[in-house]
Amino acid sequence: MPLAMLKPGETACIKKINGGRTAKGKLTDLGFVSGKTVKIHRSSGGPLIVGLGDNRVALGRGMAHKVIVETKGCEN
Amino acid sequence: MALNKTKRKNNELKVALAGNPNSGKTTMFNELTGSRQHVGNWPGVTVEKKTGRDSYQNYSLEVIDLPGTYSLGAYSEDEVVARDFLTTGDYDVVLNIINSSNLDRNLYFTVQLLEMGVDLIAVLNMADEAEKKGIKIDKEKIGQLLGTPVVETVASKGRGIDSLLAETVQHRDLSEAALKIDYGSEVEDLISEVVSMLKEFDFTSQINQRWAAVKLIEHDPEAVKLLEREVGVSKAKKIKSLIAERELKAEDDFDNIIIDKKYEFINKVISESVQRPAADQEPENVSDKIDAIVTNKYLGIPIFMAVMWGIFKFTFTLGDPLIGYIEAFFEAAGGWLGGLLVGAGISPLITSFITDGIIGGVGSVLVFIPNIFLLFLAIGILEDSGYMSRAAYVMDKVMSKLGLHGKSFIPMIVGFGCNVPGVMATRTLDSKRDRIISILINPLMSCSARLPVYVVFAGALFPNHASTVVFSLYALGIVMAVIMAGIFNKILFKGERSHFVMELPPYRFPTLKGVFIHMWEKVGAFIKKAGTIIFAVVVLIWVLANLPLGVEYASAQSLIGQFGQLMAPIFEPLGFGNWQAASSLVFGILAKEVVVGTLGVVYAAGEGGLRAALTANFSPLAAYSFLTMVLLYTPCIATLGAIKSETQSWKWPIITASYLFVLAWLVSFVIYQGGMLLGIGV
Repeated sequence: MPLAMLKPGETACIKKINGGRTAKGKLTDLGFVSGKTVKIHRSSGGPLIVGLGDNRVALGRGMAHKVIVETKGCEN
Repeated sequence: MALNKTKRKNNELKVALAGNPNSGKTTMFNELTGSRQHVGNWPGVTVEKKTGRDSYQNYSLEVIDLPGTYSLGAYSEDEVVARDFLTTGDYDVVLNIINSSNLDRNLYFTVQLLEMGVDLIAVLNMADEAEKKGIKIDKEKIGQLLGTPVVETVASKGRGIDSLLAETVQHRDLSEAALKIDYGSEVEDLISEVVSMLKEFDFTSQINQRWAAVKLIEHDPEAVKLLEREVGVSKAKKIKSLIAERELKAEDDFDNIIIDKKYEFINKVISESVQRPAADQEPENVSDKIDAIVTNKYLGIPIFMAVMWGIFKFTFTLGDPLIGYIEAFFEAAGGWLGGLLVGAGISPLITSFITDGIIGGVGSVLVFIPNIFLLFLAIGILEDSGYMSRAAYVMDKVMSKLGLHGKSFIPMIVGFGCNVPGVMATRTLDSKRDRIISILINPLMSCSARLPVYVVFAGALFPNHASTVVFSLYALGIVMAVIMAGIFNKILFKGERSHFVMELPPYRFPTLKGVFIHMWEKVGAFIKKAGTIIFAVVVLIWVLANLPLGVEYASAQSLIGQFGQLMAPIFEPLGFGNWQAASSLVFGILAKEVVVGTLGVVYAAGEGGLRAALTANFSPLAAYSFLTMVLLYTPCIATLGAIKSETQSWKWPIITASYLFVLAWLVSFVIYQGGMLLGIGV
């Protein structure tokens, strides 16, 4: 499911990044890569704030729909 | 692998600093060059490359600070600056500044540089933060795995700088082989086929061919352009169709595979060389606790407005008494000097030049040093703390209604200091449409140069409500910016979507040193401006006020008087159709402080200084209308120049200059005529 559907406090494992070159590239640059754990810190209508390890990233809704995650979490 | 490396003397080195935003690059630059560059805790502090010098032993180093960038993808203008320099620039070695406590993401950029064959030294900066987090890095091992020298530093405390410099001067002329990452058989087969085609087509040998092949497989537009330029469109097409054909057969997109393999490689490097404490899933840190309040759905915008109000109050409440002292000083100095010069039998013309021209003109601008000082102190604290990107996050709600996103708000805040860096800060926006709109509305952010005009008028005509009047102008600017952004969004290029992703760096306590460097730089620039352009314009106006020869000083018959009278009818319906106001506005385009400088010169003759003259010549309503004009009208030439160079076209500065003049005229008209009808402040 897309990252945008997750609720605050939930963690998930990134499976795939959709989108065109720029969108995908910008997400990858900030560490959105398959196999990484992502945690939702804030999601209240506007952009999300998510945690990737120690990093915090603000993410527009549109972009958050391009990040496909699985709620089961990453294997390791 | 710098392509355009020029010949240098043996002891001369050109060193480039490159790395992710928030890796301490600018701090390192300051540490190396002793330069007073501002460091901000938000992405995009450095939007263009800056140069400084350093020496070590008998070497002379030229140090270039590049904009922070996460990769070589170059998705926004500031990243293009960095990438162009790294791929084709003139340098000997790159110091790749790495945030040690954030290795995996920082190494993503390092790996890209190494693949390209860049000569680099990996600088593990912020080593103390990593230590604090219990991260142990085996730097020999990392260096061995990456095939590059590694140095550990803490730039903010000057730690490790000597060993870095020692490594830098030793490192020259080691063109080691580029890093090779195994992308798996499917991609590797394609890479070797593309490489052999590149060889066959005589593709430039200056670029690492494997790297070029990988970039082509990733569909990097710059690489494709380069290929077409080098081998011609038809041969380029052969390579492109080979890639497309293979991609169809493949299970996943090749660019996904390449990204995943890069990260796989980085993870391997990290697992072999770094020990992290087996921490429970990212414990909530102090930044998260602050963010829980500051980015709250309901509290976010009120907190932001309170911060802005606080900055404003700070600037005025503390600044006002200081202005009084400086004003008294200049008045006393003018009187004393005037008496002395007359007493010594100096010609009245020279006496007038010094008292009316220099003290009346430049002095009336310099009076505002305390405000400028405090404003930039406050902005400096705001920037260094890390709050800027939170403000951008919070304002996303408002900005998205205008078709922009939160990140577009950062250039607007920068514009409160000065519109030139405000316009330049739009480079961090990836969509052209967002950039143009942000540039067009940036001059509506009331910059520090307009502050002197407000303060002098508010003090003279609204002595009991001075700060409310000035704050209302700032607010009016923001409201106009919002309205204009909405209008531009409707009429300018539709459709182009932009992507909002922005790092929220951890909060840092602003250091006294960092904030003061920022402040001194700005106050210094203000004094320099007063001593150069403002001085020159003021002298010009004084001369015009004395010509033709024998005319009464600053009278309607003087050249400046005649010129002002020519312009005055334009402003008549706005309530300030006097020649003094008209000429000050025209010359104010050279620099906004000149509005006060001009009024200082042309009203200097009167008793009781500038304030008394303003009270005599403006009604409160006319004054407010005049201030509205100053806020909104044509930006200064420096800003127009910045718009020209940022947009690479005369079209946008011309549009900005004209739309703002029309807007200013209309709003002032409504305010003045409306006020007249209602009988307010007449």
